[in-house]
Amino acid sequence: MALSPLAGQAGIKPGMRRGGALMLAPQARLFERSPTLEAQALQEVALALLQFSPLVAHGEEATLLVDAGASLRLFGGVRALCRQIATSLRALGYTAVLSCAPTARGAWLLANAGTEASARRVLGMASLARRLDRLPVGLLPPARPYLDWFEGIGCRTLGQLRRLPRPGLQRRCGAALLSMLDDAHGHGTELFVWIAAPPTFRASLELFDRVENAEALLFGARRLLQQMTGWLCARQLAVERIALLLAHERGLQARAPTVVELALGEAVWRDEHLLRLLKERLAQLVLEAPVIGLTLEALQVLPMAPPSETLFPEPGGTPEDRQRLMELLVARLGSNNVLQAAPLADYRPETANRWLPLAGKSSGKLPASDLPPGLPGMPRPGWLLAQPIALLMREHRPFYGSPLKMVSVAERIEAGWWGQSQARDYFIAEGRDHAHYWVYRERIAGSGEEAAPRWFLHGLFA
Amino acid sequence: MQHSTLMAAPEALHPSLWRASQLGQAATRCLDTGFAALSAQLPGGGWPGGCLIDLLLQQAGCGELRLLAPALAQLGGLPIVLLQPPHPPQALALAALGLAPSQLLWLRSTGSKDALWAAENILRSGNCGALLFWQPHVRGDSLRRLHLAAQGGNTLFCMLRPLHGAQDASPAPLRLSLRPAAGGIEIGFIKRRGPQRDAPLFLPLQPPSLLQRHASLDRPLPAPAPARSLLPELVG
Repeated sequence: MALSPLAGQAGIKPGMRRGGALMLAPQARLFERSPTLEAQALQEVALALLQFSPLVAHGEEATLLVDAGASLRLFGGVRALCRQIATSLRALGYTAVLSCAPTARGAWLLANAGTEASARRVLGMASLARRLDRLPVGLLPPARPYLDWFEGIGCRTLGQLRRLPRPGLQRRCGAALLSMLDDAHGHGTELFVWIAAPPTFRASLELFDRVENAEALLFGARRLLQQMTGWLCARQLAVERIALLLAHERGLQARAPTVVELALGEAVWRDEHLLRLLKERLAQLVLEAPVIGLTLEALQVLPMAPPSETLFPEPGGTPEDRQRLMELLVARLGSNNVLQAAPLADYRPETANRWLPLAGKSSGKLPASDLPPGLPGMPRPGWLLAQPIALLMREHRPFYGSPLKMVSVAERIEAGWWGQSQARDYFIAEGRDHAHYWVYRERIAGSGEEAAPRWFLHGLFA
Repeated sequence: MQHSTLMAAPEALHPSLWRASQLGQAATRCLDTGFAALSAQLPGGGWPGGCLIDLLLQQAGCGELRLLAPALAQLGGLPIVLLQPPHPPQALALAALGLAPSQLLWLRSTGSKDALWAAENILRSGNCGALLFWQPHVRGDSLRRLHLAAQGGNTLFCMLRPLHGAQDASPAPLRLSLRPAAGGIEIGFIKRRGPQRDAPLFLPLQPPSLLQRHASLDRPLPAPAPARSLLPELVG
């Protein structure tokens, strides 16, 4: 039986009847305790904890045991590790009592004793023995049937229990009590069944309410990402493609779940980058129907590649950092709006000025750019207008804001007979304000010399 | 004695002190502009990295890319982001100025909110060598935000805005106005850490061409003469 802090403020106490609780707080929501949901929650937490150590086991009475002894230095000490585990649990939406000790049973006892946080963190064997001696006998599950007898002989703490003669204790209470006590003090060997990560990852989450705002889904997505991080670390994998399925409420007709798919150029196994990408994608998403559930799937995984550190940091960050920035920009602006230059060998300026969407890893490298020889001398303007502008004629001169004066000889570009044929004479023109323009005169085959030439503005020299 | 020497040269006390008649020193690394006349007029001797540079253009296409190209070519292969340029940029022209096509990124955006978001993320990540951002209307607080984001890294960050923005206040430590002039461009110094300079600086910047076989000649166009405007005795 448990209640939320808000219910506690309303005056509800554990052990109350349903009617009494509802009278005190009519808006209170009562839930039946569900063992399957509890087991599922414990499994979620275990999966997330796999990111700290591959050795995670279930303990009795809804506890999880993590053997992190080999990687204390990696996480920067016990305190830092505890802080990271607490952060990760908070992201999952659960609260937990954390304790740590040299033996698993010792840590289990300290966590169940419910003392204050600093007393639950023990590193030395001697201080663990001191702490354990002060704990009540009733904490050990095999001792519970004999609590009256212990009370009768004045044995209240584990320290007093340890001083009792062992053969007599074993005859009265069974071997389990003694072996558990030995395990806590490190005299016995503890054996665990470690939790194995499933071969594929697929985690679901039922939302508490119908969510109509796509950005509010981010909280749920963060919980699922935490679990995926643990799974990836346990299996030494990095993810390349993930899909987030948004399950909709079943209305009159069934509605297929909306799929948000993320493909990454560089495989990752930490959740910060995925979270940022999901945030941008969800912000753009328009929900057709309220969402009631989320499912996260890892579609494509790779073996994890350890980061290679250079001695001196590169200016402008590593290529992976740059790749991440580009993915973020593509996620927000769309892949058609993030373009990289890939000039093509062609005489026609529009065709030569090719910009391609930034290639991900899947679509291969961008084609190598072809640059014509003698490029520095070629008159090419910095801005090439998307659509050439037809120029007015005044006194036989093209006019754009002011009469244009040609300052170069013509460059004839005649190509594309196989498709869009072009026959143009390009000039550099100067306006009265001394700005330079790239203009061309259309040459129309068949028209005589007396036909009025048509002038177009095609570029600006920036 | 010591007091008097300090008073004689107070600018030696701290790098961020300078006299009104002197150019300030730059706090960050500066990129050489490639034009000696311009570098001599800028505090630190070049374009300052990691801060907002305001370039106010009379019109798009008055030589802004040619002015920035020597500095951009020194970035050594880091990406150069063109965010919301007014027209499609031509990769061949930029390649002729020494910028490899593989480093050029052209970002288009659908709204100014997206553009500001992209600019801020690029500046905060510090992974790009330069960011050129065209935005005609931008509010003062957005400018300040971008300036703060730029200070976290060493990205060369230029805002290119129309000339009428010169009247509005801006947090940029360096603000220049660019106008095309005969045979080059004229650079006006609106704001810099140094003495006020009213006369614009002329830089020769011709469009690149082998086709201009003749030296450029300052030949004014003949003034159009409307009918009956000339005196009869002059004609006769």
